[in-house]
Amino acid sequence: MSVLITTSIITAIGVFLAALLTLAERFLLDYGICKITINGDKIYQVRGGNHLLGSLQEQDIFIPSACGGRGSCGLCKVKVLEGGGPLLPTETPYLTKEEIENHTRLACQVKVRNDIEILIPEELFSIREYEAKVVNFKDLTYDIKLISLQLKGDETIDFVAGQYVQLKIPVYGNIKEEVYRAYSIASPESNKKQIDLIIRRVPKGIATTYIFDYLKKGDTIFFNGPYGDFYLRDSQREIIYIAGGSGLAPIKSMLHKMIEEGIDRKATFFFGCVSGRDLYFVEEMKSFEEKLPNFKFIPALSNPNPEDNWLGETGLITEVVDRHISSDGDYEAYLCGSPGMINASIKVLRSKGIPEELIFYDKF
Amino acid sequence: MKQTPELDRIQELMQPGVISKDGFLGNDTRNLTDILADDQRIVTNLGFTHQELANAMEELTEVGKKAFGNPVLVRGFLEVTVDSSKGKMASPFGGLFDKENVVVVNKKTGESIRWTTLNIHMIRDHGFYEGKGSYFRVEPEDLVRVLELYVG
Repeated sequence: MSVLITTSIITAIGVFLAALLTLAERFLLDYGICKITINGDKIYQVRGGNHLLGSLQEQDIFIPSACGGRGSCGLCKVKVLEGGGPLLPTETPYLTKEEIENHTRLACQVKVRNDIEILIPEELFSIREYEAKVVNFKDLTYDIKLISLQLKGDETIDFVAGQYVQLKIPVYGNIKEEVYRAYSIASPESNKKQIDLIIRRVPKGIATTYIFDYLKKGDTIFFNGPYGDFYLRDSQREIIYIAGGSGLAPIKSMLHKMIEEGIDRKATFFFGCVSGRDLYFVEEMKSFEEKLPNFKFIPALSNPNPEDNWLGETGLITEVVDRHISSDGDYEAYLCGSPGMINASIKVLRSKGIPEELIFYDKF
Repeated sequence: MKQTPELDRIQELMQPGVISKDGFLGNDTRNLTDILADDQRIVTNLGFTHQELANAMEELTEVGKKAFGNPVLVRGFLEVTVDSSKGKMASPFGGLFDKENVVVVNKKTGESIRWTTLNIHMIRDHGFYEGKGSYFRVEPEDLVRVLELYVG
């Protein structure tokens, strides 16, 4: 009996303390309305107590973040000039010495407890969240899918060919929090009602497991964007496109742009795959060759199977590029693929005398 | 063994669905500090350091990734295939790493082992091989046996 009474008393004290803490947090830690000043001239009033990333999102200002604000990706960097509080140990692993010196912080770790002054790139103000319906779902290879997202209602999206969006992956299975993942847009920028994404399955990946195993035609999905400064530069230089796997996406969008805007610059697209089963959109690229007289598509297989009956280029994509590109050309290059492929391609292009500032690629 | 609040925080990030779909701990119910201590013992008994094992993994990864997904024969009997994806993988200890899955097959024995670039970092910098039952756990004994690593 006495054990029961003691347990009840301890439980009651526990409940009382928990209630007290909740009340204290609500009333004593009420930071009230705080002012976020962005880039010196834009002022937003927010309720204090939330993280900067979420507070900005409530104002429709989207800072790129791959982990949804859990402090595990280190992407949501902003400069906090005033009011951010001390740098946290959860931020330091993601910041370089220079970034720390110039007041860079992770927006997901900084709490808005008072007025705060920050700097963000101006282009982030044009980023919005969109609600879309999955209208097409197609296997391009054994591990790559095309998904088409149609914007709901009267919504339209303005983007530049080569840019990317961040898909919001909802809670599913054992995934308890939303995450965001970046995917390049593959469709023409003239289509403002629908975007196409090309997505490759990552083994055990949170986002691609959802997309491949859970998402289906007709579902609603949210994304924000567009992001990135990977776009076709306005010049008369010969264009070299190099991609592998799902890296074809932004190049395809750029080719649509060349067709739609009548850009007749000389261009070659080197598309690297291991074997025939990794190749896709070959017919589409052939049709681009017909529409763009100065465009050439060069797919290359590094390890073709006998059943591929492959008569095209063979070898690593960097070797194929090396064979086709001269050292005295006036080129600019656009690369999309794995970091290893990008680094190796940059090396080859630099060896051909192409300056680093004329080699463009996405860093995500 | 009691662990620090910092390791508590990191262990939270290792749970399924936080950074990766299945997490980093598999069905291991031990504290992170115990997992680290046990693996430290195993590696020491094998006669290696975390740094040496990570170096061996990195060396093969570096050779393999130059082949963009094609198998490469290293030391005459290790077939290394590195599959790279766009994007980065976050470490529960902090930092972002390329998404690279490495599979090494010992052509003499037929045994294979897999790891990611993130495994190399976690082993080298933190002595973390992932929990028992985790898809990407690197068993130190398996690593030494499949790669045929020798002390000294």
